[in-house]
Amino acid sequence: MAWAYLNTLAHGRSGDKGDTSNICVFARDPKDYPFLKKVLTVERVKAYFGDMVKGEIVRYDVDTLCGMNFVMKHALGGGATHSLRLDTLGKSMGSAFMRMKIEVEDEEK
Amino acid sequence: MKKISIGGGQGFWGDSPDAAIHMIRHGNLDYMACDYLAELTLSIMQRQKMKNPAAGYARDFITLMREIGKEAFEKKIGVITNAGGMNITGAVEALQAVAQEQSMQGYRIGYVTGDDLLDKIPQMIAEGCEFKNMDDVGDFNEIKDKLVNANVYYGREPIMDCLAQGADVVLTGRAADSAMFLAPLAYEFGWKDTDLDDLARGIMAGHLLECGGQGAGGNFQYDWRGVPDMDQLGFPIAELTQDDFHITKAPHCGGLISEQSCKEQFLYEVHDPANYITPDVTVDISHATLTQDGDNRVRVGGIKGKARPDQLKLCLGYHAGYKVVTYLSFAWPDAYEKAQYAADILMKKMKRKGMQYEDLRIDYVGLNALHLDVAEVDEDLIKRMNEVVLRIAIRTKEKKDAQLIIPEISPLQLNGPPGASFFGGRAHVTDVIGLWPTLIPRDAVKLESHILEVK
Repeated sequence: MAWAYLNTLAHGRSGDKGDTSNICVFARDPKDYPFLKKVLTVERVKAYFGDMVKGEIVRYDVDTLCGMNFVMKHALGGGATHSLRLDTLGKSMGSAFMRMKIEVEDEEK
Repeated sequence: MKKISIGGGQGFWGDSPDAAIHMIRHGNLDYMACDYLAELTLSIMQRQKMKNPAAGYARDFITLMREIGKEAFEKKIGVITNAGGMNITGAVEALQAVAQEQSMQGYRIGYVTGDDLLDKIPQMIAEGCEFKNMDDVGDFNEIKDKLVNANVYYGREPIMDCLAQGADVVLTGRAADSAMFLAPLAYEFGWKDTDLDDLARGIMAGHLLECGGQGAGGNFQYDWRGVPDMDQLGFPIAELTQDDFHITKAPHCGGLISEQSCKEQFLYEVHDPANYITPDVTVDISHATLTQDGDNRVRVGGIKGKARPDQLKLCLGYHAGYKVVTYLSFAWPDAYEKAQYAADILMKKMKRKGMQYEDLRIDYVGLNALHLDVAEVDEDLIKRMNEVVLRIAIRTKEKKDAQLIIPEISPLQLNGPPGASFFGGRAHVTDVIGLWPTLIPRDAVKLESHILEVK
């Protein structure tokens, strides 16, 4: 089994509302969307972010856009301006997600 | 068939004016809306106003209008903005002065007041309003004596009232970002309260435009290298007819309008795509489509609307202490180890000086300050690091505690491990403003539309 960064299969953007971060994730190629839906479970994403995201994560699917929206509570160290993080608004949460390593078949890499 | 073009001229307070100027000159627009307000902006504007009663609005907008206001007026491009912030009448007076300077007789400035509810909070408490935090955190009793501002998000109606009275420009405070775009569309097409799918389309036009360049290839993860001419990035323009909805941009500018660029903005800061709540309509984009329909042109479809919420969102800002952030850089060799040692020295000093704090963070910029726990860090990377920046951030209850660390940073160039380099000047203590989002009944809010004509 080979692996690939999520970045090679998906793209997205992160935004903030208070201490809640949302990351939308879209398949670069629509044919990978079912695979991404299978592997990007809430449990896996929660485990991946670990202590960075202290609250609940909910995933919403938008099949017509081959996309998912991950809404993550208590994810920004208190939110602006409470947060002491360099990235108080979580602009880089999207790219943090994209460096997740995904197991892929060799031909999917 | 009637077609209305509306541009998104500004994505936030401090945005570049270049794309707004370009789209007024070359965008063939009917309207342009300029968003200046993020969640915290009104708290910052309120503090500015407390120091200077003439401040408290986005002066950037006045500067922009000095450049293109007259051209917009002559071309009959309606301009809508929430630049009024916490001092709407102050912004109106400043804009009036510009219009008079430029002999814009008959220019009609519309403005909306009534979103600032700070003075009404005690009465609302007495009437039993609980101000329960939408995020289910905290106790309102602990913040109610520390409030900085209280502004309610409102919808399209008072902006439409101004347009109906012939306004060439409309200034608001905390209108919902997307309402600034929906209002002229609903006004032009005569959409009624029951035209929920249409209202939802208008909201999503606003949503795709309200962040300016982010809707046209800025902050584009899919393929940032493929975005042409980012030095003259155009901002997005929505074209709507009664039946169709496209996103495009002005000719002769950089940027990119593609399925992917629209997708990244489409779900940005949306939570449940089937229930995107706005004051005007609850939007369902869970079955929406984005389809390339020509060069820099994307068709938006499948948007549905549902009943608007019964309540309005009120966002309270409150004093939540103080914050200080300091930086010190270190070079190879042993950059990371030396930065860690400097942090240790500083923490020992702060302990000796009795610093009390609520929260403290030590980060190493260049290593893992952005991606935190998911950054890939290994011994080899650390050994080879050319440089690293120590960053210490502290949140305190009392200002004096935050001040303690400030004079201790630059001396480490001479008194600490070798190769430290201080930059950026001494740090400053800043106020921390907490946000308290809550829901209130619609009838607690009385908005008023006004018109002022330049003589």
